[in-house]
Amino acid sequence: MNPRSALDKLRHQFDWPLAGVTLALLAIGLVNLYSATRVAPRGLYTQQLVWLGLGLVGFIVVAAIDYRLYERIAPLLYGGCIALLGAVLLFGRHINGSRRWLGIGSFGGQPSDLVKIGAILMLAKLLSEDPQELRANGWMYNGAALATLVVPFGLIYLQPDLGTAALVYLIGLSLVLLAPFRWPHRLGALLVTPAGIALRLALRHKTSVRSYQMKRLMAFLDPTADPRGAAYHARQSVYAIGSGRWTGKGWLHGTQNQLQFLPAHWTDFPFAVWAEEWGLLGGLLLLGCYLFLILWAIGISATARDRFGQLLALGVASLFFWHVVINIGMVTGSLPVVGVTLPLISYGGSSLLTMMIALGLLMNVSIRRYSY
Amino acid sequence: MIRGPALDSGSLANRTLYRLAAAVVLLMFCALGARLWYLQVLRGDHYYRRSTDNFIKEIPLPSARGLILDRKRRALADNRPRYQVYLTPGLVTAPALDRLAHFLHLGEAEAETLRAKVAAKKDRDRLHPMTLFEEIGHNEMALLEAHKAELPGITVDVEAHRFYPFGKVAAHVVGYMNQINAEEFPRLRDQGYRLSESIGRAGIERQWESYLHGKEGFERLFVDAKGALSAEVDRDELESFSQVYGGPRRVDPVAGDNVLLTIDLDLQRLVERAIGRHRSAAAAVVEVNTGRILALASHPAFDPNILTGRLTRTEDERLQKDPFRPLTDKALRENYYPGSTFKIVPALAALDDGLVSPEEKMICHGTYRLPGHTFGCMKSHGAMNLHRAMVESCNIYFYHLGERTGLDRMASLAADLGFGAPTGVALPGEAPGFIPTQEYYRRAGGFRSGYTLNTAIGQGSTKVTVLQLALAYAALANGGDLYVPLLVERIETPQGGVVQSFAPRLRHRIGTHPENLARVRSALCGVVNELKGTVYDFRDIALPVEVCGKSGTAQVTRTRKGEASGWDVRNDHAWFASFAPAKNPEIAVVVLVEHGGLGGHIAAPTSMEIYRGYFQGRR
Repeated sequence: MNPRSALDKLRHQFDWPLAGVTLALLAIGLVNLYSATRVAPRGLYTQQLVWLGLGLVGFIVVAAIDYRLYERIAPLLYGGCIALLGAVLLFGRHINGSRRWLGIGSFGGQPSDLVKIGAILMLAKLLSEDPQELRANGWMYNGAALATLVVPFGLIYLQPDLGTAALVYLIGLSLVLLAPFRWPHRLGALLVTPAGIALRLALRHKTSVRSYQMKRLMAFLDPTADPRGAAYHARQSVYAIGSGRWTGKGWLHGTQNQLQFLPAHWTDFPFAVWAEEWGLLGGLLLLGCYLFLILWAIGISATARDRFGQLLALGVASLFFWHVVINIGMVTGSLPVVGVTLPLISYGGSSLLTMMIALGLLMNVSIRRYSY
Repeated sequence: MIRGPALDSGSLANRTLYRLAAAVVLLMFCALGARLWYLQVLRGDHYYRRSTDNFIKEIPLPSARGLILDRKRRALADNRPRYQVYLTPGLVTAPALDRLAHFLHLGEAEAETLRAKVAAKKDRDRLHPMTLFEEIGHNEMALLEAHKAELPGITVDVEAHRFYPFGKVAAHVVGYMNQINAEEFPRLRDQGYRLSESIGRAGIERQWESYLHGKEGFERLFVDAKGALSAEVDRDELESFSQVYGGPRRVDPVAGDNVLLTIDLDLQRLVERAIGRHRSAAAAVVEVNTGRILALASHPAFDPNILTGRLTRTEDERLQKDPFRPLTDKALRENYYPGSTFKIVPALAALDDGLVSPEEKMICHGTYRLPGHTFGCMKSHGAMNLHRAMVESCNIYFYHLGERTGLDRMASLAADLGFGAPTGVALPGEAPGFIPTQEYYRRAGGFRSGYTLNTAIGQGSTKVTVLQLALAYAALANGGDLYVPLLVERIETPQGGVVQSFAPRLRHRIGTHPENLARVRSALCGVVNELKGTVYDFRDIALPVEVCGKSGTAQVTRTRKGEASGWDVRNDHAWFASFAPAKNPEIAVVVLVEHGGLGGHIAAPTSMEIYRGYFQGRR
């Protein structure tokens, strides 16, 4: 194969729409983050640019290597992520009463982000077994898949970070439900979750209820109960979004953002900043980008060349879907406040890197759809 | 749709599942979009306002309260700066607190309470300034200002505070103020009051509150979440925010109007000095030909400076329990038996109806018998006509007049003189007095003719106020014009423009024949100036003018104690209602001394002192 024809082939097989929507989201993220970090500590924006550079490199590298390699080393990657999570519990930095962060100097990230990729790879490998086999030993595979999820869930839960733990679980569970199990097995997987929660509540003793989790939940159920505490965040976010009206207050003119009424507006609430400054039109544009991306990923899955690729693409779709729905549901006051980032828009190195790697995997599957 | 080989038979996921997944995704995104539509379009304006409420802080610009001036424009109520100390817990340091305690000479216990108060503030409250001291002296203020650098988090603010330069002088007329309470606030907020504001509670301060108050202004500042003033918001945006608010960024306060009284400060002080010789007394001085109130006093008085924002619990209790009732305006808000000062009523009624001739003599043996009860007189006066009976204040004579005219005729004449109804003075809470009729007694359990006799000498159920009596005597003196008492001359803007001007206003002309008025007037002049007159011994021969008037000794209990010395609530009230000069009367003066004893002995000399002051330097 001469280099020229290889390049031609790549140009044909390259997923331009996927690249386009990725760049669009990154651009929106940068524009929005510039506004959101104007009042933030210095250097946040530059740091994010460095992470974006890393993310792009990660995207290209991950996309370039045939994903069948990942299929082979999936247990290794998964194990590595689990090891990192263990390390967090041992050496992680304490921030606001929980250990989530692992880093050297000022550079570092949350392994709980990366483990989502590890879990997706591991599950994709596990569930890409011959469907006949999967159907025959449904309960066994089901159990194995759930065990794959419960390990990171438990480790993240211990940090403690219930939100992220639940998110990892949700992403994985979606994948299990889409795997070619028979319906009773799917139903079983689905029912394990409420059963687990019920068990947890039954075993609960006083000290085990994290007070901040309870507070946030109560604040969501009754926002007027605690006007200055957790509900304050949710309410200010809703004010920001609502006050954007049709076309927004204009870039850099969001008062909720610029005057710091929005809490953590560059990490968990960047959508509120965006919706305040760009209005309903901006908000729908962003939602449209995500919708396109997720449906496109489902489309890639439907046409992938093998079962592992299909599940990988579905895993990425699931990752984006849950992040976007939970984050926007949270900032619009429809869900309780949990620390879930908005993919490619939120500030945060490991989050951005994880999302770029995920998109790299998606691109990988997309490019190799027709090559055998 | 792209069809890959994997979707064919034996595929890992079937088409239904893909469709299901895509449908779920679509559905969730539609829900999010709908939520955005709801928040940003349906409720957009509401949240926009909420977001502006967040950062637009309305700073009230208080209006200067109008002054209360006497007729010569001397301020009876003024405004003065008051220095308040504020503290922001989040900014203050421990050494700064120690230094503050040192500068303000606080004791160790006080300093400790202070530290506890500061430590008690949590979270966001730590950034809100709290009032530490409502008022510190000028020297302390200077000290704190000079050491500003050592006192982070502590600020001294200046605020206008009501000040009454003459203290107790005319206190009941001027009134006082105090803070709006939480119950009244919802009603007053609509009228532009703030919760911390003071409002007039008595006297002119209360009655003319709407003029004195002025209109508060405001300035809208822009603050960030921490409450810091923000310069970040740009001008265009401010304009658009102002539009949403539908109002300007700054509205200047409008100062309250000044109230110019008819009161003459010099005369007022003189009157208060005169009645101040008694334990509990009241007096009114009214211009005979206009109804202008030149002085209106009630003794003892309170210091409005204390009641306005400095009233402590103990001081309040002391005022409430004081047997001489300093908070009560006895000139206006209390009803009293008029006693013999009321004898002008049966006299005028009988003369008008031709039931007695001025010359007709009646004989006083010292008693007057009715079936079941015997009414007495001070002594056995012998035969006397109307003039002599008035001069010597013979009860028996007036019993006869009462019998002849009847209760209801006296009541109608009393009403004509303005008794039994509020005078309409521009002050709150005026007592109406009471004049009984036969109908009243019938309802109360049965009329007896003895009641008529009681009313003829101003006893029984007959009650008047000091001010009513002064206006009735003024009408008698001026030939029959009953005026509405005038207390407020003018309302002026702070710049001196006239907002409203009040001319003397006639209530009505009394129906009595002028000739009869002249007869009664001459009898009243006899009371003071003729031998055997009840006030003859207490007249002031040094006065350049002749005083005419009627003494009254109103019995308050059945067991009359008469001239017993010292304060006793069973003692009679002493009255003297009068006018002067005898020819061309100028002023009417009424003095009441509660439980003072004989009117002629007690109230008349006090009145003479007032006339001396008024006519001083005239010949």
